[in-house]
Amino acid sequence: MPLANPMRPYRGRLVGVRHLATGIKLFQVELLEPEGRAAFAHYKPGQFAFVSAFGAGEAPFGITSTPHRGPLLEFAVNALGHVTHTLHSLDVGDPVGVRGPLGNWFPMEQLRGRNIVILGGGIGGAPLRPVIHTILDHREDYGHLTILWAARSPDLLVFTEEFDEWRSAWATELHVTVDQGGPGWTGNVGLITQLLEKVAPSPENGVAITCGPLIMIHFVFLTLKKLGFAPEQMLTTLEARMHCGIGKCGRCNLGEKFICKDGPVFWQHEIAGFLEGFL
Amino acid sequence: MRYATRAELLAWLDRLAQEVDLIAPRDVDGHVLYRPVRSGAEVLLEYERPELSAKEFLFPSTEVILRIEQRGKDVTLEEVLPDRRQVIFGLRPCDAHGLAAIDALFLHQEPPDAYYRHHRERTTLVGMACTRMWDGCFCTSMGGGPADPTHLDVLVRLAEDGIYILQPVTPKGAAILESLPSAEVRGEPRPVEEYNPPVPVMPTEKWRALFEEQRLWMRHGERCLSCRICTYVCPTCRCYDVVDRVVDVWPGRVLTERIRVWDACTSPNYRRVAGGHNPRPTNWERLRNRFMCKFCYYPEDFGPLGCVGCGRCVVACPVEIDITKVMEDVARG
Repeated sequence: MPLANPMRPYRGRLVGVRHLATGIKLFQVELLEPEGRAAFAHYKPGQFAFVSAFGAGEAPFGITSTPHRGPLLEFAVNALGHVTHTLHSLDVGDPVGVRGPLGNWFPMEQLRGRNIVILGGGIGGAPLRPVIHTILDHREDYGHLTILWAARSPDLLVFTEEFDEWRSAWATELHVTVDQGGPGWTGNVGLITQLLEKVAPSPENGVAITCGPLIMIHFVFLTLKKLGFAPEQMLTTLEARMHCGIGKCGRCNLGEKFICKDGPVFWQHEIAGFLEGFL
Repeated sequence: MRYATRAELLAWLDRLAQEVDLIAPRDVDGHVLYRPVRSGAEVLLEYERPELSAKEFLFPSTEVILRIEQRGKDVTLEEVLPDRRQVIFGLRPCDAHGLAAIDALFLHQEPPDAYYRHHRERTTLVGMACTRMWDGCFCTSMGGGPADPTHLDVLVRLAEDGIYILQPVTPKGAAILESLPSAEVRGEPRPVEEYNPPVPVMPTEKWRALFEEQRLWMRHGERCLSCRICTYVCPTCRCYDVVDRVVDVWPGRVLTERIRVWDACTSPNYRRVAGGHNPRPTNWERLRNRFMCKFCYYPEDFGPLGCVGCGRCVVACPVEIDITKVMEDVARG
């Protein structure tokens, strides 16, 4: 029976699956129904969606693509649980479901003319990639772009094949670090906070956007504060285990807030005002 | 207003059971529970508070929300919902009040929950007033009462001499009473025999102010076993999980049910994220979340309090964590 049902996924098909980092794959999804394509015609950087591996379940993922770069939806998936391991077993041509787009987004309009600092840790870089792409594709709309990209080890760095594009863009710099180096690694070794202190981007007219493990977000905020960034100059996107994405199931509450509905994107000053901490 | 003798009421329930899915309080091996019944004879007319709320008939503890059939690379998705009308007879006013609290989130916050709305629309609530307040009840403190008709479609009250008075509350209630033959008998409702002492209900700001009072929450929550019975018996707890269950496999064909199941914020892994970090790692923090949800978050976000004073969690808790004691402590501040 027909139902206006926000729990019903749109049907999709995998049209690309590729290795992104150890344990992490990038999935490209083509939506099969016109309703699904219409729903995802104008999703925004920072929004998320549930991806179904039918028979295993569904889980929320930040959308790592942008609609202006093509109609395929992209998701970076780390194989950690039942749904994600099942997704990793799928290949091109296999069916998946997609439910969304959900949540709020990075205020790209509001960020115009500002100098942007992006701080991505591990797969936490995935929801920041649409921000980077949006800035690169409208380069004149934004000020200086500083990207700090980190992972626990070199093999866990995501989107390395785009580094050249990022580096070669106008007024854009990329700094990469890993917590622990390895054979052949000649780049920075150390935490992203150490790299941040070294690069020391100016807070003047700046906005810093970070995503990574919750503990990293916590310390990145502290380091940014040391560098002179105000709470109104720091953005992040939080994760939580969730089952509806529309503020009903309760799973993602931070006090009276729901990460799915009130977020996942939050300013630091919003988080600071929350009753319950995210950590 | 309609009146019926006990025999007339049971005969009406007999007929209803043929026409609709009839849910009513029943004796199940010595436990009073709202359960499907097939005749009036199975229905209890004198009973205390059923041990579980009736929320499972509008928000089932396990509900198939999608039937997913994979044939090769093709997938079909189908929602499965019962179409039959449902009548819950003998619903206690607190349980109707609990549904009203769930309505505030599942019906009145966009987008509405399609499944809950469907069940709500197909269901008529015929309540039975309590003749007294039971062990642990504090409905009168939570804006309800033993004979409160507010959230019901029909309220049934017992009069002297075994006469039942059926008061239509909504048009839906009036419609269902049309099939009850008008009786000759008349009566006045018996007054409620016994009230429990009131429990203080503090405004949300007071709860907010005590969030960081770790000693308060540890005093109540440290002995919590994370057994989740409080959320299971609660008429307003509505958290859920969604999982896929493969039900049948043939060559080239897989049938899966996507099911929604009750969840509980008091369970240890409730807030654990994919990498393994748990922002709410201790039992007292989780219990604090439950109480804060009921008295602060839920009313601030959706309007109604998340507690109707049914008292079930007070009785059910194996380590005697008592929500009314928490409320008293918060009032003392």
